[in-house]
Amino acid sequence: MNEEKIIVCRCEDITLKEIRDLINDGYTTLEEIKRITRAVMGPCQGKTCGPIIAREISKITGKPIEEIYKPSIRPPFGGLFFKEIVGEKDEK
Amino acid sequence: MKNYDILIIGGGPAGISAALAASKFNLKVALFEEKETLGGQLVKQTHKFFGSKDESAGTRGIFIAQKLINDVNNKDNIDVYLNSMVLGYYEDGVVTALVKGKMEKFKPKKIVIATGAFEKSLPFENNDLPGVFGAGAVQTLMNVYGVLPGKEVLMVGSGNIGLIVSYQLAQAGVKVKGIVEISEKIGGYLVHASKVRRLGIPIYTKHTITKAIGENKVEGAIIENIETKEKKQISCDVICLATGLMPLSDIINQINCEMKYISELGGYVPVHDDNMKTTVENIFVAGDTAGIEEATAAMLEGELAGLYASYELTNIFDNRINEIKERLKEFRKTSSKVVSGLKKLNLYNDFTVNSQEDLGKLHRTGIPEKESIESNIPKENKRFAIIECYQKIPCNPCVSSCPTNAISMDSLNGIPKLDTNKCIGCGNCVAICPGLAIFVVDKESVLLPYEFLPLPNKGDIVEVVDREGKFLEKNIVLNVRKMKDKTNLIEVKVSKEHINNARHIRVVK
Ligand code: SF4
Ligand code: SF4
Repeated sequence: MNEEKIIVCRCEDITLKEIRDLINDGYTTLEEIKRITRAVMGPCQGKTCGPIIAREISKITGKPIEEIYKPSIRPPFGGLFFKEIVGEKDEK
Repeated sequence: MKNYDILIIGGGPAGISAALAASKFNLKVALFEEKETLGGQLVKQTHKFFGSKDESAGTRGIFIAQKLINDVNNKDNIDVYLNSMVLGYYEDGVVTALVKGKMEKFKPKKIVIATGAFEKSLPFENNDLPGVFGAGAVQTLMNVYGVLPGKEVLMVGSGNIGLIVSYQLAQAGVKVKGIVEISEKIGGYLVHASKVRRLGIPIYTKHTITKAIGENKVEGAIIENIETKEKKQISCDVICLATGLMPLSDIINQINCEMKYISELGGYVPVHDDNMKTTVENIFVAGDTAGIEEATAAMLEGELAGLYASYELTNIFDNRINEIKERLKEFRKTSSKVVSGLKKLNLYNDFTVNSQEDLGKLHRTGIPEKESIESNIPKENKRFAIIECYQKIPCNPCVSSCPTNAISMDSLNGIPKLDTNKCIGCGNCVAICPGLAIFVVDKESVLLPYEFLPLPNKGDIVEVVDREGKFLEKNIVLNVRKMKDKTNLIEVKVSKEHINNARHIRVVK
């Protein structure tokens, strides 16, 4: 199995190898991996990669997944333009 | 800022049901949907639903959606916000949403969150190649936009979604090369499995996908037996992932409702009571967001949440609330998975479920055991129905379809039994069964349900195949009954030696 060809985070293009290397280097929380790789920060906000990364952390560290995967998201949930908030008349 | 009594997030079956329930009390209701249409997953579901008559069993999902949407549009007190994404919830109870390109603020008294689920992804080599799809995307392409995702598909996952989407792909003329299932048993309803096996689609239990092959797009896949490690290469241009759903809980998380990881319910779910109330005042949940189940359960939960939220506002207690709780219990009686998940939420504590028996070969292959098949064949020499439905599932339309009361069932979750003395071979049950599990056998013909195009004509010669889709013989179509709900009935002549194995036909072009 070629870990470099397995994509974990589609939004930020991060491979299983990168994730496993980081966990083995001691980055064993989702938060740390997020800060270092930008995984979980793309348009899907970690819906695809979050559970997969959590499972990898759990497999390598032996911690139960319940303790690792605790998503928390701040509003707004989607991408927004400033004009959608303040209401701009003319884009130019 | 707009004020509402109840604001519902998510316009799928759960959200719509909640809105309709609340509108009965003349409350001001807002229904938010981020897509351009209401209906959620129902709008892609071309198959007939299981369940009891009261919950539209035997009706196709798309028609259930149409009815729900019509009902919503006929209510003056429901404001529907389409293309409107809810963006946040704030401590003062304000909800923000993007409505027509502008961020708007809303202040509801109660909120029902029915945002549904998200498909789980799977890590395997080259899983980023074009041609790797989620089952939801394949269904949207096919059933909503009328676009084929490819020509040859490998399905991963044998839950109901994997089985149903495989069947729909085959209906659309796509070749399904196989269904890969990592566990030793097929996950979905076995009548669905039998349905796809009849089309000649193999189910590889104890297998997983390890690699997608191809340079710039999917050209094949490698699957591996998880026990023997034996590998098999399958050529295909689409790999379709139906590997499970996870509750979509962004908003619930953000509101700070207490959450619990419950694998039986798909992942993190909001802690809620049997009225669908979360741990935060005035916030309710319903449908897949509250834990992954079927659409029927989602509709019941939505209605329950809508009624209970209304009760808290109006002080009018609708007895339907208790009725729904009973219906849900009846429904969940066959799902030891869901019930054990709910127990972890301190619900259903006094409730026991007989864990599903292992149906042997049927559970591994989708083809019933020889003994079960033979036990269905009566001694008398007459026209009679054969019911190949051996698993306890919440379904019973066959019972009420029979004009002579020949079919009986202990409860909604029972196994249908046929009194051959009463059966007159009319075929009503064949047409109604959402599992396509009933056939009428005569001395030299078989009447079977057929949902493919082109429809053969009376007098045509067709290929008669068995439960695995294997060719038995060529024979003549004796009769074609076109049905309104599109499960047509074909009566085909079959020679004596094949009469107990003929279960599908192929039209010869
Ligand atoms: S074939 Fe007709 S009579 Fe026989 S069981 Fe079915 S519905 Fe009843
Ligand atoms: S035979 Fe009856 S219970 Fe079984 S799937 Fe068909 S309608 Fe449902």
